[in-house]
Amino acid sequence: MTPKNRNLLIGGLIIALIIGVLSPFIASTNPDGLDASAEHLNPGVMINPGYWHAPFDNYQVPQLGDGPLAGIAALLIGVIIALVFVGIVTLVLRRRDNTDNTES
Amino acid sequence: MHIPDGFIPLGQCAIYWVIAIIALIFAFRWGRKNLSEKTIPLMAVLAAGIFAIMSMNIPVPFGSSGHMVGAAMVAIIFMSPWAAVIVIALVLMIQGLFFGDGGITTMGANIINMGICGGFVGYYSWRALYKPKMGSDGVLKGSGILGKRKWWAIGIASWVAIFLAAVLAALEMALAGTFPLGLGLLYMGGFHAMIGIFEAIITVIVVASLEKVRPDLLAWNNLKRSQTDDINLNQWRLLQNDS
Repeated sequence: MTPKNRNLLIGGLIIALIIGVLSPFIASTNPDGLDASAEHLNPGVMINPGYWHAPFDNYQVPQLGDGPLAGIAALLIGVIIALVFVGIVTLVLRRRDNTDNTES
Repeated sequence: MHIPDGFIPLGQCAIYWVIAIIALIFAFRWGRKNLSEKTIPLMAVLAAGIFAIMSMNIPVPFGSSGHMVGAAMVAIIFMSPWAAVIVIALVLMIQGLFFGDGGITTMGANIINMGICGGFVGYYSWRALYKPKMGSDGVLKGSGILGKRKWWAIGIASWVAIFLAAVLAALEMALAGTFPLGLGLLYMGGFHAMIGIFEAIITVIVVASLEKVRPDLLAWNNLKRSQTDDINLNQWRLLQNDS
């Protein structure tokens, strides 16, 4: 990886982590557009049928209580997962491309 | 805008999943041809940033809030809606599986609304408003409805992308029998018309920042000098691979 790309990765990650740290303090607690629409139009649909129990449901790490630290930790975990997951998927796609080129 | 489980009947969810998977196959084909060592870090960073910014709901009037989606931003940066499908779909998978934001059964619908609709509407709205073209003198020129107003085009396209994604979600809700069509369109369209202003501002800030610090990563700056208006992404790919 070139130094310019390394700087991009580090700089972008720092910005994302800062947003993650600030988010529990400055994000609105109002329902989002879809939930607000559902509250007005069909409140009964808001009951979760429970098909899946996410480990960090509602962007909280349950082991850390319900304070802002639980939210910050969840978001930092999410930022890292997003960076690594998308990085790996795109890297695999790229490697396949190289393989295809050499084979053809 | 993340549709939770229970909002759409399972049969309809299955149809949306099939559409989303087909779109992902096309998107991965695009990625296989066009992603390079240079653009992979950008895509990963955008995913991390979009995950973070999606968690930050900003208040909008009438007791609601909203977050940006970022599909138009990714599509414009890479000059391909398929790039947006990849990034948004993967971020939605993380949000659904790990954080319970958006359902598992409804993930296909969410990918369609935010990734596919957001990416395609954002990209082609931008292209209609501002058509980038590298002149023979090596200077980027724009044509289209807004002429040279690149930043206005990016902002408006981002707003249109999130607004139409919300309209599509309202149509799905109506089809599911969850919201009545008229009121669903009114509420979803109304809330997301306001949220779209935030989306537009953040998109312009991010793309303008990238233009300042790493202009080489913006696809339009890598267009080959040409007398024609056609954008040749294969040329861009070759340039990416050469550098």
